[in-house]
Amino acid sequence: MKGAELVLQVLQQHGVETIFGYPGGAIMPIYDALYQSTVKHYLCRHEQGGAFSAIGFARASGKVGVCMATSGPGATNLITSLADAMLDSVPVVAITGQVPQAVMGSDAFQEIDVLGLSLAVTKHSFMVRSVEELEATLNQAFAIAKSGRPGPVLVDIPKDVQLAEIDYQPLASHTQKAVSVPTSLANAAKARALIAAAKKPMAYIGGGVHMAGAMPQLQQFLADNPMPSVTTLKAMGSVAKDNTHYMGMLGMHGTQAANLAVQQCDLLICLGARFDDRVTGNLQKFAPHAKVIHVDIDPAEINKVRFADAALLGDMKQILPAISASTNCDEWLAHCATLKQQHGWRYDHPGERIYAPLMLKQLSERMPDNSVVCCDVGQHQMWVAQHMRFSSPRNHLSSGGLGTMGFGLPAAIGAKLARPQDTVITVSGDGSFMMNVQELATIKRFRLPVKIVIVDNQRLGMVKQWQQLFFNERYSETDLSDNPDFVALAAAFAIPGHCITRKDEVEGALEAMFTWPGPYLLHVCIDDKDNVWPLVPPGAANEDMMTEAKA
Amino acid sequence: MNHVLNITANNTPAVVERLLQVTRYRGYELAGLQLAPRADSRSLNITLTVSGDKPIHLLTSQLHKLYDIQQLELVSAELAVLSA
Ligand SMILES: Cc1ncc(C[n+]2csc(CCOP(=O)(O)OP(=O)(O)O)c2C)c(N)n1
Ligand SMILES: [Mg+2]
Repeated sequence: MKGAELVLQVLQQHGVETIFGYPGGAIMPIYDALYQSTVKHYLCRHEQGGAFSAIGFARASGKVGVCMATSGPGATNLITSLADAMLDSVPVVAITGQVPQAVMGSDAFQEIDVLGLSLAVTKHSFMVRSVEELEATLNQAFAIAKSGRPGPVLVDIPKDVQLAEIDYQPLASHTQKAVSVPTSLANAAKARALIAAAKKPMAYIGGGVHMAGAMPQLQQFLADNPMPSVTTLKAMGSVAKDNTHYMGMLGMHGTQAANLAVQQCDLLICLGARFDDRVTGNLQKFAPHAKVIHVDIDPAEINKVRFADAALLGDMKQILPAISASTNCDEWLAHCATLKQQHGWRYDHPGERIYAPLMLKQLSERMPDNSVVCCDVGQHQMWVAQHMRFSSPRNHLSSGGLGTMGFGLPAAIGAKLARPQDTVITVSGDGSFMMNVQELATIKRFRLPVKIVIVDNQRLGMVKQWQQLFFNERYSETDLSDNPDFVALAAAFAIPGHCITRKDEVEGALEAMFTWPGPYLLHVCIDDKDNVWPLVPPGAANEDMMTEAKA
Repeated sequence: MNHVLNITANNTPAVVERLLQVTRYRGYELAGLQLAPRADSRSLNITLTVSGDKPIHLLTSQLHKLYDIQQLELVSAELAVLSA
């Protein structure tokens, strides 16, 4: 068979049934092989969108997402999405066609040094030099993408390798040996002693916990060692909804209670998180009284930005039970409960205009259990994190590390294909939506019943908020008041929609959206003056949050 | 301060670029580089000298993660001065 056919055989052996991509000259042999393959290919309308769909697929399902593109412009269009997968540790395999090796290095048509481009945005990348190494390389790509701290892997395949003949006998089933994660419990006793001695312990939970499959162990740990907990953007939904000690998201737009409690704690138990600057605010002033236990699978995260008094590396599932000690901190729990009460969200908003936090709370309460919400980037993204509740981090897909506008719509396509039985909702902004709006065509073609909610403030709201607060209200290039008619735009893709402007329309509109069996766009107009609160201003400590009243 | 790293790496086309890219991105300066293929030509012996004010573990922990790096050993900083 040809190398191109082998690619699809190997994908199938890895259980891949769904791929996202876009054809072109240098990858035509693989597309030709696809023509008779049982692997289902979803044609995106921009390779960035296709790769975001692969990310959405991976994040919603826990499997490896796969995307394909041609050489040159096809491959460069993947770069942003690979960077997104890199910073959020998402297992993705990207396959790119490359010009034939005979002309490589000659600035051939649509030739670009993709391997070179990939260095900063992938966990690893390969250029396949012969059809004999193709199978092993693809197997390695899958292994690397999902092992340890997951991430994107790119495999660049020159056209001559795709066309070369090879004698290949597919194995009946690819025996994937589950690689056990090397785990060191050497510091477990130290961690237990720190936990037992702590008067004010706090669990700081990141995306690493659910990615390790350690959600049950986390609930057990929090039950055996009652302590307050906070989550990062990527970990929203990690703590069971009935855990009364959960305090919400921490960081720049976290809850006041979460930030204040973290600042006061005397022990911070960091589980699969990395002290990102959006989490810590002013690093020198972050959790100043806390000793730190840091649990992660990536050794490079230990002592990277914050010293760990005890570090444990490896499999979260093994580590959590091993560091269980008995906490005794009733006073602290009571104090945190008071903080939570004092700083609860308020939804009493004057006037008849729609208040996005309230609308999103209504959406959260109304959406079917196990719905997946895919966000874009900006104010609406932070409102989703603040005002919606999730039962699993797999149900809240938000571009965290890279903060990539244009993520939401294509990610929702991937999520819907990964979990066709679950409701999938995109919450996008009027700015972000336009960044991958072409993917409406993908939704149309495959009749994907994705629900699209556009929170329209006619602004690049998050940037506008910073201009208002930190740049003397000089609103440079953030006005979008000439937005297209979003309902008409959706109609052009045979997607019905509806526009609302008043609070009293919200319930009915959500009902109509969920009742409609197919894709649907709900255009929600809000006041351009609404801002996200609280906010930790740049350079400030997390206890110095600005609130609406103070601003 | 100079640090000398003795590295054994797979002899793949991009491995040196990967080393240098991580070194630059993590904020260290290149102060010296020697490399030679081992007898079987499948691996490379690399001596990488870098300078930087940040603790060197911030670089070595990232270099360790490169898939093509087999072994990485930090030679003491004093030695680095001697050989410089
Ligand atoms: C690709 C990309 N370009 C620019 C930015 C910078 N940025 C962050 S939020 C934002 C505004 C987003 O506007 P919109 O989608 O309407 O969301 P809103 O903040 O108004 O809710 C911009 C431009 C980004 N995050 N991603
Ligand atoms: Mg907006």
